[in-house]
Amino acid sequence: MQAQTPSDSPACETVELQIRRQHGPTSRPYWQTFACPVRPGANVVSLLMDLREHCVTQDGTRVDPVAFEHNCMEEVCGACAMLINGSPRPACSALIAELEAPIRLEPLPKFPVVRDLMVDRAALFAHLKQVKAWIKLDGPWDVHERAPRVSPKEWQANYLYSRCMSCGCCMAACPQFGPQFGPEATFVGPAPLAQVRLMNAHPTGRYDKAERLHAIMADGGLSDCGNAQNCVRVCPKAIPLTTAIGELGRETTLQAFKDLFGPH
Amino acid sequence: MSSSIENSHFLLRRLHSLLGLVPIGAFLVFHLWENSQSRFGAAHYNDEVVGALQGLNYLLVFELFLIALPLLFHAGYGLVILRHGRAEPRRYGYLRNRLYWLQRLSGVGLILFLLLHVGLTRIAGLFDPAISADLFGHMQRALMQPPVFGLYLVGLLLAVFHLANGLATAAIVWGLTTSAEAQRRFGWVCAGFGLLLAAMGVHGLLGFLIAPGAGGGA
Repeated sequence: MQAQTPSDSPACETVELQIRRQHGPTSRPYWQTFACPVRPGANVVSLLMDLREHCVTQDGTRVDPVAFEHNCMEEVCGACAMLINGSPRPACSALIAELEAPIRLEPLPKFPVVRDLMVDRAALFAHLKQVKAWIKLDGPWDVHERAPRVSPKEWQANYLYSRCMSCGCCMAACPQFGPQFGPEATFVGPAPLAQVRLMNAHPTGRYDKAERLHAIMADGGLSDCGNAQNCVRVCPKAIPLTTAIGELGRETTLQAFKDLFGPH
Repeated sequence: MSSSIENSHFLLRRLHSLLGLVPIGAFLVFHLWENSQSRFGAAHYNDEVVGALQGLNYLLVFELFLIALPLLFHAGYGLVILRHGRAEPRRYGYLRNRLYWLQRLSGVGLILFLLLHVGLTRIAGLFDPAISADLFGHMQRALMQPPVFGLYLVGLLLAVFHLANGLATAAIVWGLTTSAEAQRRFGWVCAGFGLLLAAMGVHGLLGFLIAPGAGGGA
């Protein structure tokens, strides 16, 4: 058998994995440490999959498999977002070779824990509904026309926002977002705001622009942003969230003028 | 129809932002400009600077509606906003996040400083006419004490930082700067503005100590 050079033989290496676990939504969190063999090209999700097959802690105790969410494995679904070494990011694109050991895994903060690394991101979807982040295709009017044309420049700018996968990293890093500030008046967060920017630019979606702007001018809306700009730093899809927030600032300023002085 | 007007949330937040710049921010610039003339000495300061302002018609109305009430609203509503956020400057060590944290910290610090500052000058002057008659001497005697000078220096820097950083974020809030480059560029403009203002303020504080005339002598 041919011996591999140390640089490309991570197969025999193990990495220390510290995981913050929690049985259920209301139970107390606790930490467990595992020594996991690392295969070449492994990422945090594949490591957790391997761990699931043989879930034994560093001191030899067999424990329940670690619960976690994953789906696409190519950073487009957003399901596997968690806190990796203290930073919110999707686990599938977090390569073990690029992470500092020991690797600390925690559930995505600000969202209620379901179990272990699984969180309930219902708040994100509730906020997308709150800001009316959809486009009405059918209405009382005839929709016989073909879709209006969009300039390549405009399309290019809009495309950036369409990459949002609702992973919740921006919300986890946002100092203004969190359940601790009350369930009702909580800030909608950067991702839903960026979707308002996207939907308002859509040729059909722009018909409901004022409605969406009004939604983000209410409690928990745009004005609750504190401009800490963590969102744009942690976004795995490099979405210009703070640009969206600046543009919406301008749009809401204009909307307020229209509301005050007309025309509506 | 116009939920932005019916729901006070948006208007209150924008009012808080606006009042911070005008009149409070504008007053800070004016205040530091006036006090930067301290090094011309007691006679100039008491007659030309303070005296001219004291002789202003409707001074109390200006003080109340252009300074006191906007400041009270800005401070009070600022404390309300403070409750809806939790900074994590250590977990997210990005510049803007640190500034977010410092903006809130400086706001609270400023409330404490201003209570002391306004109490020891304007309010004390109401009870002791000698203070408003010779404000230069009063300030000079106070600033001669190193702890008071230190306190004023910290208060000054907090106020200047709060205004300069507030100007940068207000530009995002109102939609003046939208792109990341514009926000960064305007951030540097605000930093320059802050440094200039801080220099003017420190110059004013030192002026009380080096000025010729009353008490000190040069």
